[in-house]
Amino acid sequence: MKNSAFLSGFALNKKTLRHFNWFDIINYIFLAVLAFITLYPFWFVLIGSFSQGEDYSGGGVWVWPRIWSSASYIVVLKDSRFWIALRNTVVRTILATVLSVGFTSMVAYAMSRPNLKHKPFFQWVNLFTMFFSGGLVPYYLVIVAIGLYDTFWVYILPSIYSVYNMIVLSSFFRSIPESIRESAVLDGAGDFRIWLQMYMPLSKPALATIALWVAVGHWNSYMATMLYTRDANLTTLQYFLMRLIKEANVSYEGITWEIRNDVTPQTISYAAIVVATIPILMVYPFLQRFFTKGIMIGSLKG
Amino acid sequence: MTDFVEKTTRKRKKWTRNDKQVYFMAMCGVAFLCVFAYLPMVGTLLAFKEGDRAIDIYQVLLTGKWCGFDNFANLLTDRKLTDIVINTLGLNLLLLVFNFPAPIIFALLINEVTHLRYKKGIQTVSMFPHFISWTIFGAIIVALTDMTTGIFNPILEAIGLCSQENPINLGEAQYFWVEMIIASIVKGVGWGSIVYMAAIAGISPELYEAAQIDGANRFQRAVKITIPMIAPTITVFLLLQISKLLGNSYEQFYSMQNAINLERSEVLATYIYRKGFTQRRYSYAAALGLCESIISVLLLLFSNILSKKFTGRGVF
Repeated sequence: MKNSAFLSGFALNKKTLRHFNWFDIINYIFLAVLAFITLYPFWFVLIGSFSQGEDYSGGGVWVWPRIWSSASYIVVLKDSRFWIALRNTVVRTILATVLSVGFTSMVAYAMSRPNLKHKPFFQWVNLFTMFFSGGLVPYYLVIVAIGLYDTFWVYILPSIYSVYNMIVLSSFFRSIPESIRESAVLDGAGDFRIWLQMYMPLSKPALATIALWVAVGHWNSYMATMLYTRDANLTTLQYFLMRLIKEANVSYEGITWEIRNDVTPQTISYAAIVVATIPILMVYPFLQRFFTKGIMIGSLKG
Repeated sequence: MTDFVEKTTRKRKKWTRNDKQVYFMAMCGVAFLCVFAYLPMVGTLLAFKEGDRAIDIYQVLLTGKWCGFDNFANLLTDRKLTDIVINTLGLNLLLLVFNFPAPIIFALLINEVTHLRYKKGIQTVSMFPHFISWTIFGAIIVALTDMTTGIFNPILEAIGLCSQENPINLGEAQYFWVEMIIASIVKGVGWGSIVYMAAIAGISPELYEAAQIDGANRFQRAVKITIPMIAPTITVFLLLQISKLLGNSYEQFYSMQNAINLERSEVLATYIYRKGFTQRRYSYAAALGLCESIISVLLLLFSNILSKKFTGRGVF
């Protein structure tokens, strides 16, 4: 139904288009310039990362590397801290996404049920947290008090539930015909089983959307590492990157005598940026498809 | 009377197995919120106690002496805070003026593109930066504005705004706002436009057909039909934006901050971190955070009332 609305929009545009006028030309060029402005910075970093450090610091590398070198990548990939950060980020992203989608969808299912007693109470308890929060310091004190400080679980547990995602999911659950549930009830299934074995498989697109949403958030976040951990073994990719970029005088294990002129802190940080961006680039086609759908679910039904 | 009692007692007994299961599932969410949302709210009591640089902060929180609004009075005498409020409000107002309309304009422009592949291509490209972290984005901005290896100084030289002998250091504080606003637009415009695209797709084609028969041109159709039809979406997002006038993404600002631009890049979110964590002034930071939360809620309520009055619509 949503697709047909989209398509009729396009069909209409084609029908109403009488001729390609000056506005179209300016519009097409403007959007192309915008796309260029968006993409060029990434290109700039990419060529910088493949440049020879000493030569690069002279300036003027804007289109293509003058002297090629992959030394910066060697330095990054040889750094044990990078691999620890990558491992933590991958584990954290997967674990947090699975648990968060599971937990949030369970609550969302309950919130979408008409047979939930004291519903206004539940709604208010949830909504209130969207508008008012305790703030950074009290939150930190709670994290320390419940023993999450400096443990790996600090990445997972505090983000296992999100009110916003719950609202999106429960509006999706509401759109599933009640008759499906009734037949299961007749067969003697409880609500927990109905959620797990019927609603979860039925709402794969919505769950995938939320999952990608959560996953990108975890991949890109560094705040938890910075505030709630001290152990170097708990570092994450974005935090490692930030340290690399902000503190130019970090020492690297991988800089050997032969390549010391081929790298600068700048080119090393560029290489790290590229390496950290590749995973996002790989999932981007899926992201785009699901995200667009997810926003539609949220905005049309919410 | 007896009838009523009977009814209510019967109602209470009607908890089926499924009711209990659903109740339990919803309760899991409440349990989570109690720990991670409501417990910190109790922790804001710290704002009314003397907990600055305390060794055992929990001791202070539980048994410490109340000091009334002393911490809040300290806020008023903090000279630095004036600058920070100016930064926060100034930046957010500018973001509201430039970044809020940008996705709407972008959606309208992209809606006029009839070539499907071109349209898809532009959308794909424009949404990409949204998925890149602020850490990386901040680093890219630093890279582009670098005095020798960056891209902007040669451009400025070419158009005669500076010279080799007299270069402009774009890393300086005075340029921070401009850079932040441009970066925010590039990062958010494609992603922000999706909601508006969805709203535009939901407009009935008949409206456009009728307008066309009446002789409305493309510009008139956009102004007279598209914009009024997506106005509800615009209102909702505008209200949410207004409530964020004091709040900034902590990660966005922290990753772009350095000693040189601190004067113009320090906002409330990062200042609370600096006070609470670097200087360990727990009570002071808690008081600041509490003020921020309360003002944000008030702003949202206020803008909601205004919106209801003038447009008849609100978030709630």
